[in-house]
Amino acid sequence: MLGRGLKRKLSDYEENMAGLSSAFDSSRSLPYPLKRQLVLNMCLTKLQTYKMLVEPNLHRSVLIANTVRQIQEEMRQESNQQPVNICPGIAPASHSYTGMESPGISLQLPSGISQQESHCCDLRSVEDPIENSLLIVSDDDMSSAISSILKDLDFVEDISPPTCLVPTGDDQPKFPENTGLKLEDDRQDLKGAECVFGSFEISNSTSYLKDLAIDDIFEDIDTSMYDSDFCCPPLMPPRSPSLATEEPLKTFPSCNSSSANNIQICRTDLSELDHIMEILVGS
Amino acid sequence: NKTQSHSRGEYNVYSTFQSHEPEFDYLKSLEIEEKINKIRWLPQKNAAQFLLSTNDKTIKLWKISERDKRPEGYNLKEEDGRYRDPTTVTTLRVPVFRPMDLMVEASPRRIFANAHTYHINSISINSDYETYLSADDLRINLWHLEITDRSFNIVDIKPANMEELTEVITAAEFHPNSCSTFVYSSSKGTIRLCDMRASALCDRHSKLFEEPEDPSNRSFFSEIISSISDVKFSHSGRYMMTRDYLSVKIWDLNMENRPVETYQVHEYLRSKLCSLYENDCIFDKFECCWNGSDIVMTGSYNNFFRMFDRNTKRDITLEASRENNKPRTVLKPRKVCASGKRKKDEISVDSLDFNKKILHTAWHPKENIIAVATTNNLYIFQDKMN
Repeated sequence: MLGRGLKRKLSDYEENMAGLSSAFDSSRSLPYPLKRQLVLNMCLTKLQTYKMLVEPNLHRSVLIANTVRQIQEEMRQESNQQPVNICPGIAPASHSYTGMESPGISLQLPSGISQQESHCCDLRSVEDPIENSLLIVSDDDMSSAISSILKDLDFVEDISPPTCLVPTGDDQPKFPENTGLKLEDDRQDLKGAECVFGSFEISNSTSYLKDLAIDDIFEDIDTSMYDSDFCCPPLMPPRSPSLATEEPLKTFPSCNSSSANNIQICRTDLSELDHIMEILVGS
Repeated sequence: NKTQSHSRGEYNVYSTFQSHEPEFDYLKSLEIEEKINKIRWLPQKNAAQFLLSTNDKTIKLWKISERDKRPEGYNLKEEDGRYRDPTTVTTLRVPVFRPMDLMVEASPRRIFANAHTYHINSISINSDYETYLSADDLRINLWHLEITDRSFNIVDIKPANMEELTEVITAAEFHPNSCSTFVYSSSKGTIRLCDMRASALCDRHSKLFEEPEDPSNRSFFSEIISSISDVKFSHSGRYMMTRDYLSVKIWDLNMENRPVETYQVHEYLRSKLCSLYENDCIFDKFECCWNGSDIVMTGSYNNFFRMFDRNTKRDITLEASRENNKPRTVLKPRKVCASGKRKKDEISVDSLDFNKKILHTAWHPKENIIAVATTNNLYIFQDKMN
């Protein structure tokens, strides 16, 4: 029941938005601040949706963020010209966002958006349906919403900035101008700027490893099993593919350590693995 | 592959091959789609054809070759390939080529990977026929066609602090004649022309093409609709064309402050921008193409596409759909009724199907044949034969 209720609310919201956008497009009598608020809400909704995606579209995010900034700037300029006038009767339109809670945007009473508020008070009776579905968001929340989205994009996307470049000589201007891009003339430059090619050759995924200290990578791996004197040989690639499929255990090279203890532990572990393999393979 | 041909009419499928496979980036837990973003043909040097195709992250060079003959009559092998017993060979003969059914083979020749953090939106082959560029949202890289393990970064607009990002690269193209010149367009409606001889990293443009905004057309969506989705040089290289959401602009490379011509593709959509923003259509990326330096073509919605003749200043709207056009019939011009009384044969703006969009069109480099891609079909049209 709860699920159905939620779903109905979301689709109501979508229908509402579609209706609002056609109202925006067709109506000439819709007051400017209301139109602006509608566009702002649509932008923030989209940004919020993108934030939930694994890989948001950078192009769209930037365009929408710019639109929000532009509206924000406009509203800021307007509020600087007008005295602040908070209308106590306004409650945040919390009902339209039940399905979409996000820490990035919090609902607050507007501060300094006086033009809007006086309009809201006046229009409440006339434009009630439209007004109720508009979300009033404060300045700071908008900025933080944009910032957090763009910052997230950086973290997710680009882990290999070309800042590991080695300058090819003294008195050189900052790296972009000079490093390694003169393959035609100077072989020595090539060697000196190997780091440049390093960052190009290696994918963004593996240069992740280059940027971190080795220890950091393994911090959260549980190595308690290996902390004792027992030294388990690393898994080596099987000597031949056929061996690997038939007898995986036999490809473990024998322990290099000569201690009897270790060999004992080796054997115990191997027999446990044996047992597991039997279960898996079913033989 | 990106498109599929009709099997009826004059054209049959020549070849189908899988260019890219979906990949999974384990470190970022991201799926890399196999969807092809761009295809570019290389100039033909021998019997085989070469093309570059790219998805979001990887560019591949494909060789497409035909085989329509095969050798028969080997001395040491049977026809099925088994080796003959040498003692049974008593005579010698010269193998001959016999015709066989046409076989088209596509083989990957180079794979250019791991040079783009962001999604690749353009590839462009240089007039030196040795290098090419690939562009993503924030960077442009230069490659040599023979070398896959390195590329040069020639444009980087990523700010030190991503929160300051306000502009992305949307398209890039090499000049058709000058091998050190290229342009790239941005989401703010600007085009930058760069000369690779000026510096290794072309962060400073040689020319900046930008048209000041018309204040009477200002809206909340002005910036979004100014984002350029495609940039193409004319064959001569004297002009370049840009496509933004509502229009096509022709720029003279010698004049940076405004385009020499502007053509409205679907101006009737200007009053619908909020709805188009709401359903994301405003972000659709339409391509455009030249016929020489005289006629330009671009797509629109409802399976309509438009052509503009720069000389006669005439334009035409045509439709690519099976229901409305039988093969070999002449296409009937279409018209959209923006407002007011709809005439017969006109279609009103509200009846347009925004799911039927023509994003990709291409003009044959030498003949009057065009290819137009709708969502599920590829149409090929040619000049009426008399």
